Amino acid sequence: MLDALLSGASQLFTLGTILTMLVGVVAGVIAAAIPGFTITMAIVLTLPLTFAMPPLQGVATMLAVYVGGYTGGMISAALLGIPGTPSAVATTFDAYPMARNGQPGRALAIGIWASFFGALISTVVLIIAAPPLALIAVKLGAWEYFSLIIFAMTVVASLVGKSMLKGLMTGCLGLLIATVGTDPMMGEPRFSFDLQLLANGFPFLVVLIGVFAVSQLLQEVEDADQIKQGKQLISANVNFRPMDAMRETIARPLNLIRSSLVGVFIGAVPGAGGSIANLLAYDQAKRASKNPDSFGTGTPEGVVASESGNSATSGGGLIPMIALGIPGSAVDAVLMASLMVHGVGVGPRLILDHGDIVYGMFMAMMLAAGMVLVVCLFSMRWFLRVTEVPRSIIVPVVLVCCVIGAFALNNRATDIYLLLCVGIVGYLLSKLDYPLAPLVLGVILGPIAETNLRRALMSNEDWTLFFTRPISLALLILALISIILALRYRFKANKRKLSQT
Amino acid sequence: MSPRDSSSTARSTDRASAIAHIALNGILALFFIYLFVRAGSLPESAWEPLGAGTFPRLILGLLILLNLALVAKEVPRIASSASLPDGLIRQWLWNHRLALGVLALFGTYTLTVPLLGFRLASFLFLMLVQGLLGARRPRALLIALVIALLFSVGIHALFQNVFSISLPRGMFD
Repeated sequence: MLDALLSGASQLFTLGTILTMLVGVVAGVIAAAIPGFTITMAIVLTLPLTFAMPPLQGVATMLAVYVGGYTGGMISAALLGIPGTPSAVATTFDAYPMARNGQPGRALAIGIWASFFGALISTVVLIIAAPPLALIAVKLGAWEYFSLIIFAMTVVASLVGKSMLKGLMTGCLGLLIATVGTDPMMGEPRFSFDLQLLANGFPFLVVLIGVFAVSQLLQEVEDADQIKQGKQLISANVNFRPMDAMRETIARPLNLIRSSLVGVFIGAVPGAGGSIANLLAYDQAKRASKNPDSFGTGTPEGVVASESGNSATSGGGLIPMIALGIPGSAVDAVLMASLMVHGVGVGPRLILDHGDIVYGMFMAMMLAAGMVLVVCLFSMRWFLRVTEVPRSIIVPVVLVCCVIGAFALNNRATDIYLLLCVGIVGYLLSKLDYPLAPLVLGVILGPIAETNLRRALMSNEDWTLFFTRPISLALLILALISIILALRYRFKANKRKLSQT
Repeated sequence: MSPRDSSSTARSTDRASAIAHIALNGILALFFIYLFVRAGSLPESAWEPLGAGTFPRLILGLLILLNLALVAKEVPRIASSASLPDGLIRQWLWNHRLALGVLALFGTYTLTVPLLGFRLASFLFLMLVQGLLGARRPRALLIALVIALLFSVGIHALFQNVFSISLPRGMFD
């Protein structure tokens, strides 16, 4: 083990590797900060550039893009209220109100530190617990997956805002949107009305940027007086005090550790990932908080939970890949491909046959987390200048970025038309006070829920298996507890409001 | 505005919001009932107990119930609120003129990107939206021109030459 560790370190700590990692971190942060551009896109674009590099340098550069991307997604979430990547949806709930309240620097600094600690904790868990966690993750059959998704859906209770009915409606609308296109099991077209536009369904990214970016940007230009005066998105004296933010972040150790562990676990489950982890971590933090009403108004608790939760999935995602050779997400599949291009066979024997590369990857994760921290802390003052740009410039520029993101995803012009349709629906719903986050959650979870429900019943028609398989039962009990606690909280809040009036 | 006026405005806004909710959920409920019926004709499979239509029908059933519940919740609000003053819709449209203007330009932009190509469509969109949102004086127009060129021609060149991704070309390319 020591030989492999030293060999990995000697390959990693070279000038060439550190330089390409640094470029990767900067590229990952910038790509993820632009709405419509995902970490997966950035990683895929990096892959061909790593072919000429030695195996560890190539994979370390891609890990740097990966870790950088999880932090970068927070920048537009905090400053524009638009999640830069799907994993930053929950960051908009508190980082954006905090920025609107005149503290954009505080929101970004807390997010950066939370991301750093999340990535660090996940790497430690990755090193210690990769084999046992991977074994649990692969034991999950279709029954357990379906129950896990039921549990994840209970998060809706935390995202519904003032009206449970409206939140449930948008959540179900998201589930319905996900059913448009080709049926996942039989390949039958559903609700496409023989239109080319709907034949491929609604890609998740198009729904995300349509719902959040387009509707958010249209709301920014509603006030004609503010636009005439050339008002910026956020009018504030930008103070960026990273050390104060660090103290604020580590003053919440329970939230940090809980959210990171949620991120690691969700990351380790193949097919889940950062887009679910940030919402689950936020939900758990809200439920555990002594002051849950402060969530959604700009509380640091919410920023810490979302950012540590999504960054921790980077380490969690590597667990099944390193321990078993199973990619947990598209990003992990690309990482695997980069190793295989160099002739490194990825599978259960990876750690035995190429220990130097595996330990090198562990160290690369830690190094990348440190680099992201340093790069972000030094560059954030420039990113904060976004707040000084007038709305008349930022709104059309971000809309163009959204169109590029929607098109570049699949090189399909029809996705641009879908973006427009989703944007109009999102704007209409937000004007009528319907929460949009449950809709996005529905689109993420819908296909996983349907596929696993049908797969489970296809292999055995017995419905009781959902309740008799131990892990599935445990997840369903957790879901039930989660619903009871949410209803109890709402009941108490209503009672409190009534007694106050 | 006197307290009585502001209370009357709030009550008529309440009525407008209730009508909007009822209209939205009513239309959606009808549309979802149509989809529910249509999903019934989706094929079953010999290999699995649930066919292609079961899961969507489950969701559609839930959605119809939720839409009806939302309609039922909003109906009493109409009874207890003041009638809508004349010109409320005109006022709303006027208040939202910029957002609706940007939305119209964005709609035109998304529809014309495949036709005009990314560079030309983006350039025109960026210039027009910046103009609509206040870039009228020479200095502001110059900044708008630089931004429009950078995010149309510049971005196109970046994607073409660095990422090897071809953005829509259109009939003039």
